[in-house]
Parts: sequence; C-alpha cells; structure tokens
Amino acid sequence: MRRTLAARLLQSVVVVFIVTTITFFVVRLAPGDPFSYDSTAITPAVRAHWRAQFGYDQPLGVQYVKYLASVAHGQFGYSFERHEPVVAALRETLPNTLLLAGLALGASFLLGVVVGVVQATHRGRWFDRVSSGLLLTLYSLPDFWGALMMLLLFSYWWRLLPAGGAVDPVMHDYLPAGRALLDRISHLVLPATSLTLLTTAAVARYQRSAMLDALPADYVRTARAKGVPERGVVWCHALRTALTPMVVLLGLLLPALLGGTVFVEKVFSWPGIGYLAVSAINARDYDVVTATVVVGSVLVVIGNLLADLLHAAIDPRLRA
Amino acid sequence: MRVHSAVALIAAATLAAACGGERAASTGSAGGTVIIAAPGDALSLFPPLIGDQVGRWVADQIFDRLAEIGQDLSTVGDKGFTPRLAKRWTWSRDSLSIAFSLDPRARWHDGRPVRASDVRYSFKVFTDPKVGSPTAPLLANIDSISVRDSLTAVAWFKQRKPEQFYDLAYQLLIIPEHIYGSIPADQLHTSEITRHPIGSGRFKLEKWDAGTRISLIADTANYRGRPELDRVIFTPMDSPGAAAAVLTGQVDFVDNFPFAQLPRLDSSTVARSIVFPQMGYAFAAMNANARRSNAPHPIFSDRRVRRALSMAVDRVAMLHNVFGSAGRLNHGPFPMTLAVADSTVQVPPYDTAAANALLDSAGWRRGPDGIRTKAGRPLRFTMAISAPSIPRNAYGVLMQEAFRKVGVQADIERLEPNAMNDKVTHGDFDMVLLTFGVDPSPTDTKQFWATSGIGPTGQNYYHYSNRVADALMDSITTAPDQAASRAYAKRAFQTIDDDLPAIWLYDAVVVEAVNRRITTAPMRADAWWANLADWSIPPDKRIDRDRIGLTPTKP
Repeated sequence: MRRTLAARLLQSVVVVFIVTTITFFVVRLAPGDPFSYDSTAITPAVRAHWRAQFGYDQPLGVQYVKYLASVAHGQFGYSFERHEPVVAALRETLPNTLLLAGLALGASFLLGVVVGVVQATHRGRWFDRVSSGLLLTLYSLPDFWGALMMLLLFSYWWRLLPAGGAVDPVMHDYLPAGRALLDRISHLVLPATSLTLLTTAAVARYQRSAMLDALPADYVRTARAKGVPERGVVWCHALRTALTPMVVLLGLLLPALLGGTVFVEKVFSWPGIGYLAVSAINARDYDVVTATVVVGSVLVVIGNLLADLLHAAIDPRLRA
Repeated sequence: MRVHSAVALIAAATLAAACGGERAASTGSAGGTVIIAAPGDALSLFPPLIGDQVGRWVADQIFDRLAEIGQDLSTVGDKGFTPRLAKRWTWSRDSLSIAFSLDPRARWHDGRPVRASDVRYSFKVFTDPKVGSPTAPLLANIDSISVRDSLTAVAWFKQRKPEQFYDLAYQLLIIPEHIYGSIPADQLHTSEITRHPIGSGRFKLEKWDAGTRISLIADTANYRGRPELDRVIFTPMDSPGAAAAVLTGQVDFVDNFPFAQLPRLDSSTVARSIVFPQMGYAFAAMNANARRSNAPHPIFSDRRVRRALSMAVDRVAMLHNVFGSAGRLNHGPFPMTLAVADSTVQVPPYDTAAANALLDSAGWRRGPDGIRTKAGRPLRFTMAISAPSIPRNAYGVLMQEAFRKVGVQADIERLEPNAMNDKVTHGDFDMVLLTFGVDPSPTDTKQFWATSGIGPTGQNYYHYSNRVADALMDSITTAPDQAASRAYAKRAFQTIDDDLPAIWLYDAVVVEAVNRRITTAPMRADAWWANLADWSIPPDKRIDRDRIGLTPTKP
C-alpha cells in the first residue's frame, strides 16, 4: 500500500509539472501580453518599455527558467493586474473557491445520493420518470446559462438574494456577527446552488445505477429474509455497497466542479480562483493564469488521490 | 488671447470659484455611500502608471491637479480652467513659464502640507524613463519645474503652444514626494507603497481589497471642502450581475449600462438613466495596406471602392437601429464633444445607385452569385470586430447586409480583445470596426490619423497618410486661438473625410445607470467621475448604508 501511495504521489508531481509547463507556454502563445490591454492612452513605445522592464521581451526559455525559480521559492511570480505576488492573490481567493466548491460538492452528493436511491427504489414510477427528466434537463444546460437564469430569477425578478460578490461591500463590516454570517450566506446561496445543480444530476444518475445493481444482490435478499425493515435494507445494506462507485465519481467530478466554478464565479462576481483566472486570462496576467491552472491541477490530483485511497479503504479487494 | 495679467487671472479664478469650481464649506447635510460597479479592479492607483479606466476613476478622487479643465473642455490657454492645488497662476511675459501659487491650506491625507517640491517631484516621476509613464509623451513640451518658494512652483516650457497650460494641468496629478521619493524609479511599478496611495483629493483611500472593493472615505478636512458623500465604494462586477444589481438597488451606479436595456432602466423605480456623449467615436477603418504588408491593399487602395462602400451604408438608419433616438452620428475623425469639432464637415451621402456605379466604374462586375469580381478576384474582405462590443457587432451585421446589396461580401471576424489588439497593431486586417476614446486635446487626432502615427509610436494602424492633412493637423494645435484652431480643424477633418480612409459610424454615447436617491453633479464628456465629490444623497432618501457615517471599517 505504501509503495502504491508513493508511486501515486510521484505521478501526481509529474502531472502537475507537465500541466505547469504546458500552461506556461500555451498562455504565452495566445495573442497579447500583460501590457496589451485596450487603452489608447498607452502608446506602443510605453508598452514595449514595460515589457522590457519585466523581462517579457526575453526568450521564452529564459522566462520559463525564471518562472520555475519563482515557483520553487513559493512566489508563483507577480500579478500585474493586482499588483501583488501571485501567492498573495491565491491566498485571498482560494479559500472562497474551496468554500463554494466544498459546499456544492457536499450538497450535490447528499442530494444526488438521496434522489438516486429513491429513484432506484421507485424504478419506473412517476417520481423516477419526472426526476430523471428534470435532472437530465439540468445536466444538459450550459452551466453559465443556468447561473444567469438563477441570477435573473432570484436576484432581479424576485429580489430575494444579492446579485454578486461574497459579502455586502459596505454593510458587512458594520454588521453584528450573526447578521454578518447571514449576509455571507445570502451571497453564497446563488453561486453554491448553481454549482450544486451542475453536479447533482451526475451523482443521482450514478447512484441510481449503483443501487439498481445492489438491490437484487443476495445479501440484500438475505437481509430482507432476516426481517430487516425495508428502510434499513435500502439505506443500510444496499446503499453501503452502492456508495463504493460514488467514491470514484468524487475524483471524476472534481475537474467538472472546478470548471464550473470558473463560470459561476464570473457570473456572480464571486471573488474566488475562477473569477481570478478569468480576469487574468483577459488581462493576460501570465503568472496568475499559470498559477490558477496549477492550483486547479493540484486540487484535481489530490481529489483523485483521496478518492483512490478512500476506495481502497472501503473495498478490501483493492488492498490486496 | 492668453491672459497675462495677474489681476485678470485672480479675477478669473475668483469668478470660477464663485461658479462652483472651488467648493465652499459643506452644507452640513453631507453623508451617504455610493457603490459603483466597476468592470474590474484598478490595475494601479499610482498616477504615473495608470492606463486603465478604473484606475483613473479612483485616482482622480484621491489626487489633485494644479487646475481642473472646464466643463466645455477647452484646451487653449487657461480659459475655463478652475483652481485646484494651484490657487492662482501667473504667466511670464514670454509665456515660456507659468508660476503656480499653491493653496496654503492644501494637505496630503497624512496631514503634511502640499509643497512646490511635490509638484517638481511629480513631474520628475511622470517623465522618468525608468518609470515608463504613459503620460510622459504628453508632457514633452515641459522642460522642467523649479521651486521658487515652498508654495510656488514654476513650470518651464520648451515652446510656446496654445495647449501648454492644458498639457501640464490636465495630465499631471500631483503626488507626495515624502511618500514615494525614497523608492527607486524602476521599482515604483511593483512597490507595495503604491497600493496605499496618499493624495490631496477630497476622498482618501480607506481600503483596497484586491479584486473585491476599493473603499474611499471623505477627507473631512480637505482644503476644497468636505465631499457631499461619506464614502464611495468601487466593486468589480460582471456585466449581467451589475445590471441586475443597479436595478435592484444593490449597487448605485453602473457605467456604460447596456443600451438595449435602456427601456428597462427608464421604467425602473429604483434606478434612472443618464445618457450623455463621451469623448470617443466609432468608425470602420479600411486598411490602406495589404494585410501584414507594405503593399497597397488590393481592394481599399482604390478610392472609388472606398467611396462606394461609404455610400452603400445608411449611417442614419444604422444609428437608429442600434441606439434608438439616443445615438449621435459621427462626422469624421473626431467626436462632437471635442472643442474644435465641426458638424458641417461633409461625408458621402447614402446612395446605393451611386455606390453601384462607382464599383462598376472601378471594374468590379457582378458575378452570377451577385458578388462582384475583377480579374477573377471576388470583392470580398473581412471585417474585424471586438467580440464584447455589442454596438460594433450590431453595426457589423448591418454593414455586412448593406455591402451585400451592392455586390460586396464582407466576412465578420469576431475577435477576443487581445487577439483583436494583436491583429490590429500588426496590420493584419482588411476592415476593422474601432472605437477611439480621445483626450480633450485635438493632438490625439495626429496620433490616430497623421503619417507620424504609422508605426510603433502611433496608433494609425490602417496606414492612412496625406501630407496636407498632416500639416493641417499640426496647425490645429499651434494656432494662436480657438477660432483659428477650429478653422484648421475643419480643413483637416474635411481633407481626411474626402480621402475616405474610414466609414464614420457614431459618436460614443454612454448610458449611466444611477440609483434614484442620488443627486449627481454635471458629468463631463471626458470623465463622468470628475465631479463625484459633489454627488449627494438627500437625508430623507438615505438607506442603511448611507447612515454608517465615517466609522472606520474593520482592518
């Protein structure tokens, strides 16, 4: 087991290094640079001066070596858009994304598992048909469109929730602790719900399928024969086995979830790493773009690693 | 004529102050918070390095100029300028120097007095090549700034020019030497201290949470009087969210509200619209050179084709289609808000019959598919448009259809802004739809339309060149007075229009969405934010966030 873990860790480091390298070069091959933003006030000569000042006129190989040195020192370069080291920008935004993605992941698994189990136990009945159709529809919707519709419905038309930001930009600092928490929650609801809907459908589909495989199994029949109530049979015996594939799904869903945060954070101006990434891409803030991709890849790698370890922990066959 | 008499200057300054140029003490009902949705965070709040719009919005509240341009945006002499840090100014007899007497009441936000040495230092930083300020080329006519005494700074000019006062007063924000002076010039770009600006403006920085908000708070002891508001918050918000937020009262102001949503705004009980012209114009430039080449363009090098394309589009109908009744027609390489603008400059009329005849005479004959050809080459080109620009994209579609009717195929190429910028700066386009924002000075015209603007130092990306127009554009900024300047401008603009390097589309008009509880001050065409400190919120209309007063926020 230890050797497997060591091998997986080594693989993860290699994956992150490859992602860093590819991102570094790809982002620089795109048109523009940090100083090419649209402003008629800045002449091409001034832009050239700035490029030279920050070494963007040097060969890509030289820039790459400098960047790796910066990463090795834990700096991840410098953000021209935010005028601070990239690591500071990540420190400010990553917790917001982890909060949003963590909530969405938890909520979508909880909701998806429950819906999937009920669908499986009510196979072919109206709830199964209606909820399957609904979830398929949600799954098919583009995430940014779904987020925009949420914004339109709950913020503009019904005025129930704020349109954007992580907190009220003025009042939050003056509210007592309880109301400040409510303010934060109210700003979290729309982006978290948008992200939850994005992944719930997939979780429910997987759970339904896993439950349909588990329910006819011998041990379930045995449990019923021993007089275990139906609720116990489903939620304790069958679900326990049917949850195993869901652990694998956790690893698969992380990239989708992180991709979703980019759109959702942009629509709701949520100051997370996705919003940071989009702004950085538009501004060609090279070091920030590279760092956000690296952080994303690290999160995905860690997620997959944890999913594998968890899978091995709950499935004795994989420990052999 | 320039005013040389100190007496006349003092009188003018007094009159300007009486007209509201210099604020009296607060009315006593000051208060309130305005939240402004910004398209992004400020890239910098260090005046010499500001090139982005949000940076300008904020820095203009924190820092002061020596004098402020008037509402009519006149750039000749000191006409219309009102005192700011300079309480008065005196021209030398030969007009090659101006002595600025600083207001002795002026203080930096840390309490230190503003001194003439700060003016000298500001000029030094703005023009230091190691800093690389985008403003440096605009200060090229200023030789130096010397200190006569602690409250008198003397600006020395290389040449007498009608706009020499404007060059200094409009472009130079005064920054404190005691804050920035110890930082080496080449480190100012990344220095942490530039994130905590100290100025002398009526608002001071309270907090800058990168990517989240910039909070400004009233400088209650300001020498020009306390602002009418307690606070102004700039918060980055994406377009759809910003529109919803202003319509629901979550934010108070959105610049450049989508034109298509104007009826929604006008029917709102929460927000209202302010529509006003800006210092900008949009046009479809025709590249005189072939793509990425110095050879003449195979289609646009023929003036008859350029004229035909201009005559093929109904500019008035397009304007109404895109902007409704709020649009303003563009007449040439200038917006009508420019002091030397002239709406009598002649533009080719809409006449599709004449356009067809011109194309026929140029040898472009219609093929079986309706598209004209000449020597086997179809009359077909690409039209580059920045993807996020809603009006330009709408114009692109309308123009494409208009061209098709005269047998011309235009393929729209929608580009991400950076990709667009890359193509345009490398001349890799046929026709491009652009919007240029300009300074109040007609000098900008040279940068965009003179032969000297071709190449890495200018922005004449479409390689337009006419020596007569060059000479006339030079004369605009060297004319002795506004009337002569206007006469030269009219001739220059007509010469350019006659050459048809572009199809003139519309003057930039902007819709500002503002909460109904806010009373705004007059908005200047070059800067809606110029009088932000005079915006107010009547006590009876205030909401919770208006009543928090000047209590500091959590650190």
